[in-house]
Amino acid sequence: MTALPTISASAIGVAPIRYVDRTLDNGLRAILVPDPRVPSVAINVAYRVGGKDDPLGRSGFAHLFEHLMFKGTSRTVAETMDRLTEDVGGYNNAFTSEDITNYYEVVPSNHLERLLWAEADRLASLTVNEANFATERDVVIGEYDQRILAEPYGMLDELVNREAYAVHPYRRGVIGSPAELNAASLDDVVAFHATYYRPDNALLIVAGDLDVDQTLRWIECWFGPIPTPSAPIPRVRVVEPAQTLERTYEYRAANVPLPAAEEAYHIPAASHPDAAALDVLESVLGAGRSSRLYTALVYQKQVATSAYAAADLREQPGLFGARVTCARGVELATARAALTEELERVCSDPPGENELARVRTQIASSLVRSRQTNTGVALELVRATTERGDPEVANGDLARYLAVTGDDVLRVARTYLRSENRTSIEYLPASTSAGQAQ
Amino acid sequence: MNEMSAIPAAGPPRDAILPAPVERVLDNGLRVIAFSQRNLPLIAAQLIVGCGGAAEHEDEAGLSGLVAALLTQGTAQRSATELAAASDALGARLLAASGYDASIVSVSATTPAFPHAFALLDEVVRRPAFAPHEVDRVRTKSISDLALTYANPSAVARAVAHRVAYAGAPYGHPLSGTAATLETLTRERVAWFHERFYRPDDAVLVIGGDLSVDEAFALTDRVLGSWRAPAMPIGDRPHGAVPPPRTQAVIVDKPDAGRTALVAGRLAIERRSPDYYAATVATAVLSGYSGRLNQEIRVKRGLSYGAGASLTARRQRGTFFATTLVDHARAADAIGVVLATIRSLADAPATDDDLVTRKATVTGGFHRAIETVDGITGAVGEHVLYDVPIDEMQDYAHRIQAVDAESVRAFAARGLIPDAFIVLVGDASKFASEIARTHEDVRVIPFERLDLGSPSLTPAADLG
Repeated sequence: MTALPTISASAIGVAPIRYVDRTLDNGLRAILVPDPRVPSVAINVAYRVGGKDDPLGRSGFAHLFEHLMFKGTSRTVAETMDRLTEDVGGYNNAFTSEDITNYYEVVPSNHLERLLWAEADRLASLTVNEANFATERDVVIGEYDQRILAEPYGMLDELVNREAYAVHPYRRGVIGSPAELNAASLDDVVAFHATYYRPDNALLIVAGDLDVDQTLRWIECWFGPIPTPSAPIPRVRVVEPAQTLERTYEYRAANVPLPAAEEAYHIPAASHPDAAALDVLESVLGAGRSSRLYTALVYQKQVATSAYAAADLREQPGLFGARVTCARGVELATARAALTEELERVCSDPPGENELARVRTQIASSLVRSRQTNTGVALELVRATTERGDPEVANGDLARYLAVTGDDVLRVARTYLRSENRTSIEYLPASTSAGQAQ
Repeated sequence: MNEMSAIPAAGPPRDAILPAPVERVLDNGLRVIAFSQRNLPLIAAQLIVGCGGAAEHEDEAGLSGLVAALLTQGTAQRSATELAAASDALGARLLAASGYDASIVSVSATTPAFPHAFALLDEVVRRPAFAPHEVDRVRTKSISDLALTYANPSAVARAVAHRVAYAGAPYGHPLSGTAATLETLTRERVAWFHERFYRPDDAVLVIGGDLSVDEAFALTDRVLGSWRAPAMPIGDRPHGAVPPPRTQAVIVDKPDAGRTALVAGRLAIERRSPDYYAATVATAVLSGYSGRLNQEIRVKRGLSYGAGASLTARRQRGTFFATTLVDHARAADAIGVVLATIRSLADAPATDDDLVTRKATVTGGFHRAIETVDGITGAVGEHVLYDVPIDEMQDYAHRIQAVDAESVRAFAARGLIPDAFIVLVGDASKFASEIARTHEDVRVIPFERLDLGSPSLTPAADLG
């Protein structure tokens, strides 16, 4: 085989994202990124409310609420967002994470003001009645049935959160439980909107073909008059105590094609100085076919059909997960032993220069690719601002990744990949014989 | 209640700023089209080889796809795994696929990695290994993938409609082959197709992104300049007679299908046709949530979750399909509504005002596609492949905007409405007799007898 030269990722020069950052008198923060190449704009409105902020006994509420934001307002009918986007060649959607609820639209740039109007309208005057509340609750419970119960391994993420966190509300996940969703009332909806959907809890990002001054005037015109309540916004202050003993949990379900396991380790928040090294650790272990886990478990030992790692960095301390799915006929204990071996190896055998060069190139390539689209730029700024408090950190990310050394990776691996910091979930078929057949 | 009148009006549409591609021909006959766009450190290239599925013989359907799939599964220097690892390490994307008119190999990577990634493209295009075990593996996978297609009534209906439109013409056989044709494909035939058709004198390289056009030409010459055409002549482009459009109904009886898949279709236009923009807008009037088909089928009548239309324009005439999926018992009603909705393009033509949003769906999609260097490369490649002047790409949105109500009506009246055929795949007992009342020429084919490898849709022996 012909050796490939090592690419120096430091040779990749990425221009910083240039943006205008304004906060209106009512507290709404607006960030604009002009780029005139293509007559299209991406609009994101992120509210700092996610799964962790669900009211007590109302898990899944932030996500249910996301659905209700599409049901119309006092001035519009349901599906207005679809008509304003799809009918002019754009699209729209939303997602809820542990930390935020993010609504986004992509439209031709001559439609920007219409979407600013519509986003301001649903922030200011959402109306929900019993009928569409009940309908959307059923839709979300249907989503739970389909995504969590019916999909193979659908419960795994829920279990990881639930078992790894003892007290922090991250333990409840995002989708919530059908029982708590059914307990929710229309009053809860009204209270939730009043508590979190307010200008000073919103971040508006517009990227693409826009005129900065004109766009700021539009934002002032449509969002500016929305009042800010005087009550403070409730924030999660719970601190998860350091884990001192390994936790294990065994789960059995129908529709588990092959046994699987996840090992999750507590890691600090996205704003922590170790975050970049943890992202590099993720790539060393788990990104692509050249990663250590794929090479050892899937390719060489053939004990797994898939093996990967992910640093799930959040606004508050998150989790580093390593996941393995057995190869057919392989015992879960065998696959887990191979996984453990690789996780232990990275604590003594840090990546060398070639391995680091590969990982840096991969990270830099994916960062550069996502910068190509307005929606990629907008989402990057949403995450930087909501998870790490400052859009400018996005412009330092490439340099931070390039500065990560083998010793840094070794240090974070030794710091966080410790057995007493670990929660293991074994995910098995309901009857042992079924999964192990053949 | 509804005060949407409060919503501000849209402004006038704005223009894209597209790079200007420049063309040069290398000594070996390779056309190179380069553009420079330096906003990000990324470069993309796409090699378009001017032969694909249409160059296959009927009996070897799926050959061009098998060749393309095998290019990235190992070369003289590297195994499939080593190739994947090499591409991975460069942060590159290396892909190969075939269509009816062309086979396309593309690569993209960041600026410092690109020369090495481009060398990988050269390696897979010029020195593929076609290792016997990889040929077997990819062929077996292709055959098992077909099972998925055959299990999906909508996919079967589109495949049947394609065959009905073209019968035995070069586009007629399925691009992904049939189990019977794939079984016969050997490593030798794969190597033959590759040697004959992957050649610089019938290929175009589109390259662009974070480099100057001179750098692009120099790099291409350095890497692909030594590529030589084989001695055997390429021969004429496949150009078999396409049957004239004819009203007919083809029913595939599949009682175990969950619902009936419907297609109303017709042979449409070449990509180079002056009607291309009117045809695209006419299709957009029918498509999407607010398009006429979905309004009539879903919103007004609740016959289906959705309905839409698609236009495929090729080197020779492509196809127009209107599709939906309905309960078996409603299939006859639904196909009537679909045909009436297509006819409405002439009976109740869209106004210029109606067209504003429908045209926006077309230009919006185009503009999103060209946000990335891969997207621009693909758009340039499509124009080059079909001999459409590149200037038309620069002017694409204006040409769509310029389509007026009368040109949509006139095109639909002559190019979409007359002589349409219909295809229904579902439980024929629930609708075949009703279809026979509206159509003179009706064929019912039991699903077990369906043979997409045959121009007549049934095994040749059936004709006797």
